[in-house]
Amino acid sequence: MLRTTTAPGEAAGDFALASPHGLGWTAMSTEQPAVEEIDAQAAADATVDVATESPQERSARFEREAMPLLDQMYSAALRTTRNPTDAEDLVQETYAKAFAAFHQYRPGTNLRAWMYRILTNSYINTYRKKQRQPLQSDAAEVEDYQLARAASHTSSGLRSAEAEALDHLPDSDVTRALASIGEDFRMAVYLADVEGFSYKEIADIMDTPIGTVMSRLHRGRKQLRELLTDYAAERGITRAEEGS
Amino acid sequence: MAERPQGEEDAVDCAGVLLRLVEFVDNETGPVDRARIQAHLDDCGSCLAEYDRDLLLKALVRRACARQSAPPELRSQILTRITSTQVTVVRRTDT
Repeated sequence: MLRTTTAPGEAAGDFALASPHGLGWTAMSTEQPAVEEIDAQAAADATVDVATESPQERSARFEREAMPLLDQMYSAALRTTRNPTDAEDLVQETYAKAFAAFHQYRPGTNLRAWMYRILTNSYINTYRKKQRQPLQSDAAEVEDYQLARAASHTSSGLRSAEAEALDHLPDSDVTRALASIGEDFRMAVYLADVEGFSYKEIADIMDTPIGTVMSRLHRGRKQLRELLTDYAAERGITRAEEGS
Repeated sequence: MAERPQGEEDAVDCAGVLLRLVEFVDNETGPVDRARIQAHLDDCGSCLAEYDRDLLLKALVRRACARQSAPPELRSQILTRITSTQVTVVRRTDT
């Protein structure tokens, strides 16, 4: 009886296996009549000739393609800057730059990653200077990464109880921990865990080698774990509660 | 110089697996390494616990950073900017 249908907004093509008869979705209700038009428009946008496009067409295309990413960009900016005012400024700046440089964006490639790269650069150029945070040395990161593999293998007996405890922490503790770690770590973890970007994409966005991405992820998560373990202890949930 | 304990092979294997656990958790491991790590996790309780914890942490971060709606004013400001740029282009003929 359980009939899994394609979720709203999910491209039908991603689930070709679910519709062996081809266009299975035509048999469904017509609650989203615009999907075909949107798909057609997206296909056109992916193959547009930027050189012959008028400014009006380009700004309309920017609106169609970039504006749906706004919530995502704002959420990322919020985690990156850690306050709503700066987040709004950062998103404004990101969209202004993206719009101005939109002729350089190659249609049909990964717009989300392209926008994230602009956001990340804008953040680094504007806000990092403002905050005057010392930069982390990548050499130290790599070294730490290598040391960590030996260290992390101790005290394994505590792990599963601890994992249970972490799972009981409120989301606000997780975001607080995320806000507390170094910004390069925070961004790498956010891009990997929330946005699901590949290492290659994160390396492009953060403009670093893949090895640095990995060490940032490794160190960032290690610091997150330590903070969350502390929070769990503060809240008195170091041991797993029974029956939840 | 360090004395090697009896289970040296295991130790080496665990170190190797833990080194690559980040990639494994992020689905960035090639198929050969993937199978090798999977086989090790099936046998090694402590590495498996480490793996579970990494997975959990990833899920926690994802859950805690649920997408937030951008403020409506921000949306309209950006839209205004996009459309007003065309006006700017037209105005340039005045100078």
